[in-house]
Amino acid sequence: MQQPPLPDEPLYLEPRLEPLLRSALDSTGLLHTLVDALGSPLNVVLPEQLAENVARFRAVHRRHHLSGEIYFAHKANRSSALVRQLAATDAGIDVASAAELQHALGAGFTGPRIMATGPKNPEFLWLAARVGATVNLDSQAELEQLSALVRKQGLPRVPVLLRLSGFRSPGTAVLSRPSRFGTDLAESAALLDAVERHQDAIELTGAAYHLDTVGLPEKAVALEACVRVLDECRRRGLRPAAVDIGGGFGVNYLASQAQWERYTTELSESVLGRRPALTWQRHGYGLRAESGRLRGALSLYPAHRAVAADGYLDELLSLDAPSLGRPLATLLLENLYDLHIEPGRALVDQCGAVLAKVVEVRRTPAGEPLVRLDLNAADVGLEQHGVLMDPLLVPRQAPAHAPAPTGAGGAVGVYLVGNLCLESDLITRRQVFLPELPRAGDLLAFANTAGYCMDFTANRAMRQPIARTAALYRESGSWRWRLDDQYWPVHALGETR
Amino acid sequence: MRYDSITEAIGDTPLVRIDEQVHGLRNIDLYAKLEMLNPFGSVKDRAAWQMTRQALPAAVERGDTIVELSSGNTAKALALIAGMHGLPFRSVTNRMKVPEVKELLLLLGAEIEELPGQAECLDPTDPDDPLTRVHRMLSEADGGYLHTDQYYSALNTQAHLTGTGPEILRDLDGRAPDHFIACVGTAGSSTGVAAALRAGDPGVEVLGLVAHKSDFIPGIRTIDEVHEVGLFDPATYDAIESVTSDEAIDGMLTLIRRCGLLAGPTGGAAYYGAVRHLRSLDAELTGRRTAVFIVCDRVESYLSYIRRRRPELFNQPPRPNSVATLTAADLAAARAVDVEAARKWIAAERPLVVDLRGPFAYAALHIEGSINIVDELFDELLHGGLPFSRTQPVLLACPVGEKSLAYAALLTRMGHRDARSLAGGVVGWRDAGAPLVRD
Repeated sequence: MQQPPLPDEPLYLEPRLEPLLRSALDSTGLLHTLVDALGSPLNVVLPEQLAENVARFRAVHRRHHLSGEIYFAHKANRSSALVRQLAATDAGIDVASAAELQHALGAGFTGPRIMATGPKNPEFLWLAARVGATVNLDSQAELEQLSALVRKQGLPRVPVLLRLSGFRSPGTAVLSRPSRFGTDLAESAALLDAVERHQDAIELTGAAYHLDTVGLPEKAVALEACVRVLDECRRRGLRPAAVDIGGGFGVNYLASQAQWERYTTELSESVLGRRPALTWQRHGYGLRAESGRLRGALSLYPAHRAVAADGYLDELLSLDAPSLGRPLATLLLENLYDLHIEPGRALVDQCGAVLAKVVEVRRTPAGEPLVRLDLNAADVGLEQHGVLMDPLLVPRQAPAHAPAPTGAGGAVGVYLVGNLCLESDLITRRQVFLPELPRAGDLLAFANTAGYCMDFTANRAMRQPIARTAALYRESGSWRWRLDDQYWPVHALGETR
Repeated sequence: MRYDSITEAIGDTPLVRIDEQVHGLRNIDLYAKLEMLNPFGSVKDRAAWQMTRQALPAAVERGDTIVELSSGNTAKALALIAGMHGLPFRSVTNRMKVPEVKELLLLLGAEIEELPGQAECLDPTDPDDPLTRVHRMLSEADGGYLHTDQYYSALNTQAHLTGTGPEILRDLDGRAPDHFIACVGTAGSSTGVAAALRAGDPGVEVLGLVAHKSDFIPGIRTIDEVHEVGLFDPATYDAIESVTSDEAIDGMLTLIRRCGLLAGPTGGAAYYGAVRHLRSLDAELTGRRTAVFIVCDRVESYLSYIRRRRPELFNQPPRPNSVATLTAADLAAARAVDVEAARKWIAAERPLVVDLRGPFAYAALHIEGSINIVDELFDELLHGGLPFSRTQPVLLACPVGEKSLAYAALLTRMGHRDARSLAGGVVGWRDAGAPLVRD
């Protein structure tokens, strides 16, 4: 069987780098100075980029003449610098724990700019109600709990959104993965009865959904269903004002579609045993070979995407509502509803990187190069989130280090191993291709990790240090930095004092 | 031709020669096997019938549901066969990308389930891939289903081994063609026909065509996806080449406009891939050769697929009285009134208030006394002229006052004496605290 000819280039998966992040990662000297001073691993964040991302989403609202809030899903990154910079924009914040809520308040957000979502304990509910945050209600039970709390504590009425799930489509059935969150649409009548009963304690402001999918048709079904539920609310004399469509707009991580397509094809061939392994022990990322056939599904983040983030939102809003027929943006606008969104990953796209020092380079008995890094798999969650993307090599410029153990030059496929004494501590289960073999003392930079892949899973296992975070910002044409906790969006004022 | 059942009309499709003037090959006779002329419209009629005919009596006895993973022609054929025998048909698919096919299947009585999109965050608790889950559902259900299993069933291949392939041999006077070109979907037709032809002449060259990886051609799999198909055996093909959707449409247009064959994009891909492959061989040939490709189905179901990729093929002439023809001067001359002025005007002169929003939104909340003509419909009306007297004052309202301003400009240009737009639209009306009613 003749295959289309393949280029000779190694199976690179180069990260997509926009100018700000590229410039930061090109600052080799600065990065080495930072890691020398603050240790490995080290997170860097770029608050300026976050503000730019907010503006891009805002532009989509404007294009469709829609009002409504952009709530940053805080759980994507715990950095204070990012949250404080966000407080200086016109965006809001979506918090999923009492601690995140406290963090947001401490970073300058006031209650009305905060949305409380996710599973909530009484303390979280109380603080949200106390500061006048909007509560995104998961269930009728939570509604009852909140109302009781408001009455007992003599709190002001709390604005609430009703999180819905279990949407069913007209026409051909569009299946959706079942969600543990939200109230099933079939039970919405009882929920609205409860809303009417508790109007002294709560004020209904709209309906919400968050579907964990990249599928546009599913989201269109859900959005239209929310509009219909809100119409029922109006019929009951309530005054809802917004539909909150959550996040899940995605990020395009890779610079080249061709590289991504070639890699995933080669991965299939590798799983079928038709080419040398691309992964540790021929791990298949969800694919497996059964009597020569490929089975399973590739459980990877679709790392190259033509449409992501604000582009994805624009496309969703341009889709026709499945039964009412008008484009979704038009439907919202005509029905006088605001559009709330809660992007996490997409709002911190290009907002940071994880740096790790190369400790040792050696080869396995089979001759495969192993690069040992001073960080572990929990410090950079690319693998856990299924994002395949090559790290960048940041060579140490001072020539004082020892010669590389292999002396090899040219592109090389390596396995990255971490600093835990565990066989499982592979930074990636796949071979990563680098332009040359790194040497001890070099840095590897995992780019664009600010969304879920930076400190989401970092822990103190085996007493290894958790990465510190430095906020990088530009001033008078050069890069400056502060410890995350020392960064406030007024840094420019501070310098001119 | 007189039949007792439409299923008897399956097969025996024509083999039609493509004019040398069209394909430009000097030494190769190129033939199209017109599977689109099967009664349900595609090559899949053969497989669908072959996969069900033996099992149907027992299935009817039990009242089974026919189940298949298909978003297109197999589903169509199976839905019709199921309907003829009083059985339900259910399809589970993740490739439902052609709206006309979707609607057609609903019309035929099929029950379609589209699988969920990929998760945005990886969920290790998600048990398995969706298709495996479907297979598990079928095996756990303990009967009640007739699963035709086109990607694995030998009956799929057999339909072509005993039907399509021998028909080609017969129509070429018993001689196998030198080249056989087929698109690879379930691999059933290419595998079955190739085997039949090679039985006649082991030297037949078989070319399999797949879709470019990031591209989509209905009915064809990409080079990665073929590995998931049980019937796919790389040894069947002397070569595998890929075609883009653009090339498929080019090929399709040639078949339609120059050959009178109402082929769909898959047939177009087969033609394009065949000619591209044969052209280089043709230059070096001295004797005559024969090549056959398959035209899987017809074009009618793919109009929106084509429109999306080649809007210029549906070029409409500019229509009279269209907002698209408004000039900056027209717009500047349009009259807009703010909410306060509009309320006074309504009270004093009772203009006709036309709400251009969708009926669902209008029904929910609207300006008292207004009528609803949704913008799409209003647009249609205006092509034919003014839908009300030119002396009747009109206040147009849309969500934010942008569309209504354009229509006010258009009405003015059409000679209406007093058409105004509500500045800020219904949103501005609400924000100003003016009343909205719900009937």
